[in-house]
Amino acid sequence: MSAKKKQAAEVAEPVIVRQADFPVGIDVYPLDEERRGWADWYDRDVEPEFAALAEARVWLVRIFVSWKYFEPQVGQYDEEAAGRLDAIMDAARSHDLKVLVSLFADDRLAEMTDVPWGKRRDPRTDDYLIQREVSLAQRIVNRYRAEPVVWGWELANEAFCTGFTSEADLERWTATLRDAVREVDSEHPILLGVDPETLFRTTGVDPRAAIDLNEYAISHVTAPYRVYAAEGPVTSGPATYLDGFLLRAAARDLPVIVDGVGVQSLDFSLSEEAAAVRTSLYSALMNGASGVMVRRYRDLETEKREPYFRDPFEVLVGVADIEGEPKPSLGEIKRFARVVARIDRRRYQSAPECVGVLIPAERYESLPSLAGLYGPRACLQSYIGAKEAHLPVDVLREGDELGAYHALFVPSAMKLGATTWHEIASFVQGGGSIVVSYGGGDTDPAVREIFGVEFLGDHGVRRTVSCRVAQPGALGDLRSFDARLKLPHFALLGHGGATVVATDATGSPLLTVNQYGQGKAVFIATPIERALAQGDPWAAPLVVRDLLRTVYGSVARAAGAGPIVDCDTPEVEVAVFMGEEDDIVVVLNHAPEAVTATLSVERMVAGVADARGGQLTEVGGKVFGVPLSANGASALRLTYT
Amino acid sequence: MTKRSSQVLMAEGLARTEQVTAAVEACYDALAVDDSEPVAHCLLAHLLLEGDFYDEAIAEATKAIELDPDCSPAYLALGLAYDRRGGMWDQSVLVWHELAEVVPDLVTAHVQLGEAFGAAQFEEEAIDSWKCALELDPKEPRAIYNLAIAALKREGMATALPGFRKAGELDPSQDDLFFALLGIKSVSDRPVDPAKVREDRSSRLGAAALAARADDLFVTAELVRMVLDEDPDDADALALAAFAYLKQEATNEAMACALRAIALKPDLATALYTLGVVYSRRAGLSKHAARVFIVFTRAASQHALAHVLLAESLLGLQRYGQAKKAYRVAIRLDPACVRARFGLAAVHLTEGLHAEADWEVRRAAYYDTRRQGSFWRLYDHYSEGGAS
Repeated sequence: MSAKKKQAAEVAEPVIVRQADFPVGIDVYPLDEERRGWADWYDRDVEPEFAALAEARVWLVRIFVSWKYFEPQVGQYDEEAAGRLDAIMDAARSHDLKVLVSLFADDRLAEMTDVPWGKRRDPRTDDYLIQREVSLAQRIVNRYRAEPVVWGWELANEAFCTGFTSEADLERWTATLRDAVREVDSEHPILLGVDPETLFRTTGVDPRAAIDLNEYAISHVTAPYRVYAAEGPVTSGPATYLDGFLLRAAARDLPVIVDGVGVQSLDFSLSEEAAAVRTSLYSALMNGASGVMVRRYRDLETEKREPYFRDPFEVLVGVADIEGEPKPSLGEIKRFARVVARIDRRRYQSAPECVGVLIPAERYESLPSLAGLYGPRACLQSYIGAKEAHLPVDVLREGDELGAYHALFVPSAMKLGATTWHEIASFVQGGGSIVVSYGGGDTDPAVREIFGVEFLGDHGVRRTVSCRVAQPGALGDLRSFDARLKLPHFALLGHGGATVVATDATGSPLLTVNQYGQGKAVFIATPIERALAQGDPWAAPLVVRDLLRTVYGSVARAAGAGPIVDCDTPEVEVAVFMGEEDDIVVVLNHAPEAVTATLSVERMVAGVADARGGQLTEVGGKVFGVPLSANGASALRLTYT
Repeated sequence: MTKRSSQVLMAEGLARTEQVTAAVEACYDALAVDDSEPVAHCLLAHLLLEGDFYDEAIAEATKAIELDPDCSPAYLALGLAYDRRGGMWDQSVLVWHELAEVVPDLVTAHVQLGEAFGAAQFEEEAIDSWKCALELDPKEPRAIYNLAIAALKREGMATALPGFRKAGELDPSQDDLFFALLGIKSVSDRPVDPAKVREDRSSRLGAAALAARADDLFVTAELVRMVLDEDPDDADALALAAFAYLKQEATNEAMACALRAIALKPDLATALYTLGVVYSRRAGLSKHAARVFIVFTRAASQHALAHVLLAESLLGLQRYGQAKKAYRVAIRLDPACVRARFGLAAVHLTEGLHAEADWEVRRAAYYDTRRQGSFWRLYDHYSEGGAS
């Protein structure tokens, strides 16, 4: 088909307004003003809000049930509450919106789970209260189970789940509530609104088993987690990769919805808010999410007092101001929904990820082991390095199956399990490639065998990274340099058969590569990812970032896991959705400055068009440029000759 | 003296030598023996703070204060953890207020209190705190910069620039830059005796530079004069003479010497530096300063402060976009450069990027407080039995 015919066919296609396969949703909270009380639960007409959301092509709204309002006395259900919920459902129906009902949520304002007759018993563990929760859940689900307006049921949100103190309690509560819902509704999906990484960070409770009892998983960046992993500006550096990283970490067997999109405090300008929302939305799309939920519709009108501080379950900032006037963020959602509507998941499939960043099991260790604190930060830096090399990267955990990957990165791990080393040995022998950076302490005997280096000891803290290239071209286009960056450890390595690719200033190996079986094993003598994370990720020496990116890119390419679409700008993330006749390429600029990214593909590109249905621009080559504004994103449809 | 267990003493030793992992384990060993030991919690808070694990540091510092409300190093760790974490300004204000009362001569407490007030939108109280810090130490750079930023927010760049200039002039690292260009890192212990200097150009210039480093400008002048007597067109000697004049506030003479040196050797970094600094201090010559510093940054591209000097001259010309680029280069080269952080914050404010500006100010505090090492001073005093 010629380009012109294709363009004509594009015009003739009916415009899909909203994409049910990739719900774009938003949270509509019961209270929009801090001065209001729990009894004001949705005591307003949500019709105008839903009209604005429908106009912005939002498909899904999440609403929050107030147990306190529904059941003011034991077994006595409030008819007014039921009436208000009916009105919400009616409004959603009239605007063709779907509703996700959150049954037990805490927003730190509307006291939704704070039943006065509970007498301070814990609703998460007390058998009697759990039975009351079952009754309420079944009552609501039963009332709306046949309603097409309902999309699904959320058993609880993360704020509620932070009250759990053990995996067993969380799993038991989830199973009980899930079974209760399933008794009356066997169709609508059920989910538990917690992110496995952020909840574990906050509570020390690993929720993965509880999440796996449901049909969807959730990923979201909470304010405390952002402080922990990527404290800094939200429109540049690691913060812009955090959504994608957590999404990848949350994705196992269940589809994942990226939740809580948006900024967490009122400190940001409207343009910064819009840029942050745009970055999160596109990160979700590009990293395999099954939907997105934006943090809040309307800003919370806070009490006039300063300094203002709320225990942040960060529900302050919305996409409309306190008057309900749309902010630029709502426009971003609308534009994003238009892009999503054009990416039919039955027609286009994400390119497979064959590169993995491995989160070591030591991440789950508690203090005094610092591995649990250092680990996720180092893994985030590794993920960013792989993204900057434009590799199709995934995040996996120690113990996960390695067979799907061609290249693995193990960033700054202090230790791995014996079984893992065995699996890594098999992986490399079978043709996989691996990059491991030294994490401190003694190394496992497997290091000598796989990486061909003899560990002679830890040289300790260094203030400077020195790289002297000994084998140019062995691991990409490396350059010699000295850069100021504190290294917590440096492994002194003796000869064990590996090729020394680069050394430090004194000649001690910094980078080695060893052929092991069919695969390649690269050892970095210092925890470079941890050093980047523990230094200043927003001001990390570019040469060090470049070293990491070059090594990752070189190893992955040699293993056949290079990018499908390459790009000359590290800060620009690229994702490919492959179709039968054409592909959709989504690009996202993680930098707060405008850039023109040069993309290169292996096939001859006939033309490029805006995925939303713009004019086709003829290319006739394998390389083309894409101008991107600061934190800009673009979705392009590529046709080939 | 506060009694400390052997485990705490071990943890202390490890912490002082930056063996963080082992030190944390030793703290836990100490707490396993006696979890009511405030120094152990306090030390642990410090170690966790050093690792940027703020929530954990807050928890440990709070425990230490609960166990001993006079534990001043725990207040310091707690306040720093709140500030570095962000978003907890009201708690931060309370902690710094408390510490400023317990240790009234701790300048950092007043500076941090001011920043916490500022972040919480209490501008007047913030300014009072910074002024209080300057009463204790008139050269406290962060207090001066913060006052300049406050002036920028209220009245614009014209009012803020004198503050930035003043802080720049007080910055000792600017002299370090000049001497780094000459390859001199530290002040020599032994004074230079001109009579013992070998009678060749190289030895005289080297000795003159060492004398200048030690602020012995008479000896510098004498040695430079000897070199110039033999060769009046010695650019290096002229540049050193220019610097010596600059240190004595003789800007016309400094300018003349630097210009002559540049005429002889156009890319001589030391002369470019001196000329740029002279221009930047003279009203109406900012434009010339920027031009000189552009050339200077090429000659000294790996020195963060060179880019800061360029950025500051551009700031004076209201060329904010270019200033921003120069500040960013400086921060890439030295993330701990407080001067660049505050300058970049000022640029962000002119662009309306308040969150970015706040971040740079917080980052400046982060590096400055790490550099100061106040924790160990308070810790040692507390361990020796002093409440503060």
